[in-house]
Amino acid sequence: MLKRDHGVVLPTSVRTPGFRVELEGTIFRLRATGSWTVHEAVKLDGALTRLQVPIPPTPEFTGEVDVSGIAELDTAGAWLLQKTADRWSGSGLDTSFSGTTESFRILIEEVGKRSEVKPAEEEDPGTVKDFSGDMTRAIGGIWQDARLLTSFLGAVTDTFGRQIKEPWRFRPLSFLHHIDHAGLRAVPIIALICLLIGAVVMQQAVVQLRPFGADIFAVNMLGILALREVGVLLTAIMVAGRSGSAFTAEIGSMKMREEIDAMRTLGVDPMDTLVAPRILALIVVLPLLTFIGDIMCLIGGGLMAKAYLGLDVAAYMEQLHSVVDFRHFMAGMVKAPFAALIIGLVGCLEGLKVSGSAESLGKHVTSAVVKAIFLVIVFDAIFAMFLSAIGI
Amino acid sequence: MAERKTIISVRGLAKRFGSQQIWTNLNLDVYRGEILGIVGGSGQGKSVLLRVITGLVEPDAGTVEVFGRDVRELTPEETVLMEARWGVLFQDGALFSSLSVLQNIQVPMREHLDLPQSMMDDLAFLKLAMVGLKPDSAHKHPSELSGGMRKRAGLARALALDPEIVFLDEPTAGLDPIGASEFDNLIRKLQQTLGLTVYMVTHDLDSIFRVCDRVAVLADQTVVRTGAPESMVKHPDHPWIKEYFCGERARAALA
Repeated sequence: MLKRDHGVVLPTSVRTPGFRVELEGTIFRLRATGSWTVHEAVKLDGALTRLQVPIPPTPEFTGEVDVSGIAELDTAGAWLLQKTADRWSGSGLDTSFSGTTESFRILIEEVGKRSEVKPAEEEDPGTVKDFSGDMTRAIGGIWQDARLLTSFLGAVTDTFGRQIKEPWRFRPLSFLHHIDHAGLRAVPIIALICLLIGAVVMQQAVVQLRPFGADIFAVNMLGILALREVGVLLTAIMVAGRSGSAFTAEIGSMKMREEIDAMRTLGVDPMDTLVAPRILALIVVLPLLTFIGDIMCLIGGGLMAKAYLGLDVAAYMEQLHSVVDFRHFMAGMVKAPFAALIIGLVGCLEGLKVSGSAESLGKHVTSAVVKAIFLVIVFDAIFAMFLSAIGI
Repeated sequence: MAERKTIISVRGLAKRFGSQQIWTNLNLDVYRGEILGIVGGSGQGKSVLLRVITGLVEPDAGTVEVFGRDVRELTPEETVLMEARWGVLFQDGALFSSLSVLQNIQVPMREHLDLPQSMMDDLAFLKLAMVGLKPDSAHKHPSELSGGMRKRAGLARALALDPEIVFLDEPTAGLDPIGASEFDNLIRKLQQTLGLTVYMVTHDLDSIFRVCDRVAVLADQTVVRTGAPESMVKHPDHPWIKEYFCGERARAALA
């Protein structure tokens, strides 16, 4: 903000902005007074827009913007004055400035030069077109995602193949680190969740089956359900939320800070160092976590069986053995590595898709978790159909 | 220069980070309408001083007065008013990465003023042109800009409210010599146009001799000397000043 006189604290009356138009000889003069700053810009702009542009009766009439009464001026004020002068000039009144100090003159000239640069107009496509455009993009996005994920699966397979041929590419330290983080540290929460869900399922089943006198079969139901579906699904969902999102965030923030580009230029393949150890670690730990989940589910059910059915450990085990066998256990377990592969692939791929902004990182972490859980459930359904078709 | 008016006054500042004492008794005055360059070896707290003056870092002792008011004794409302009177350009622009350049420039306007969108757009485009950016960069996101453009956009945001003081943290670091010299000219031009007071942390000798009216030298945990850049060369009375202003690079910058 430029002041006409720096030393003086301005009284309020001088600061109140305003203007009036007067005719003197052949000169229309806009006399501006007070403080023309951005704080007053809205009021001034409104008043200036309402102001009729004087129509020159003959060509020798000229316009003048007199700023000698202005106490404070900033870019917004100078822009308003310049805009008005341009409007007057546009309607045939040759308009100039008068009463400027050196600093006011520089500011007004600079603003005048700059406001000639017209901003590029952004077109508004309209609601219907906008909507159909969004739909097309959304559907195209699904197709694009499927293609990207498939090609990423190919790239990861290729990386594993190469690591078998050239074992020094494998990063054991990184692999163990992710075993620790995605596996070992997930044990308490997965054990707790599975214990609680096992207990809840058993309790509900007993309550529902008791009127038919079939409450003992709640044990059969829980046994099958826990081993085939609940254990592996709960574990996969927990891991997708815990580790899938972590993968995206870790790789994504490296991408944001160009660390991944740096790796490439140093001849370090991010597929070897970042992606392969993470996915391999998940493939190893998810079946192990699923096993823990299965057992905890059965223990939770056992606690409820004791409380509601009065079954002791031996009786509970006997009832379980009568219906559950190894193929039920395997039907659940066989899904775990595939779920791990999906979570790892989606997590790493979303991480690599992150672009420069913090918002983009957040978006991709969210979509990594959502996509991973969605795909795990879809694959689970496909497995369920396949396994029952082949009679397991 | 009898009419020089102090706009920032720092008295008796002390700060310690862990075991490292940065300043013991630092005094500094910044006068209205000047471009002051802050120089000093690394670890002398050049950037920290900027952060202390703008209230981002608390000093251990001492006072900082801006516009005659102690910045640490302001009420929250007064702090907001004060913040509208200065603008800060951080080292890499510190633009909000999720907003476009235009939206970045409008952030302070939205926060402090109540303007219609069309006027904010016009003013933001004006600021963009004033810092020498093309209108087509307005809708880009910071990650799509080059380092120099990010700094210009950051400067446009710092100038959004027509502040009286602009703090620049190493404005020419990371720019090529041509880009740096253009940026120096831009700072000089904006300073004249908008009547700004510029507080510039730098170690670019070229820009010190090109734009700074005065430099303040940070060394030995205090400001050892202030004065015109040329006087530093003529009377280097401190080992660091001698090394810095009379070294090979300084001679090249002066030539």
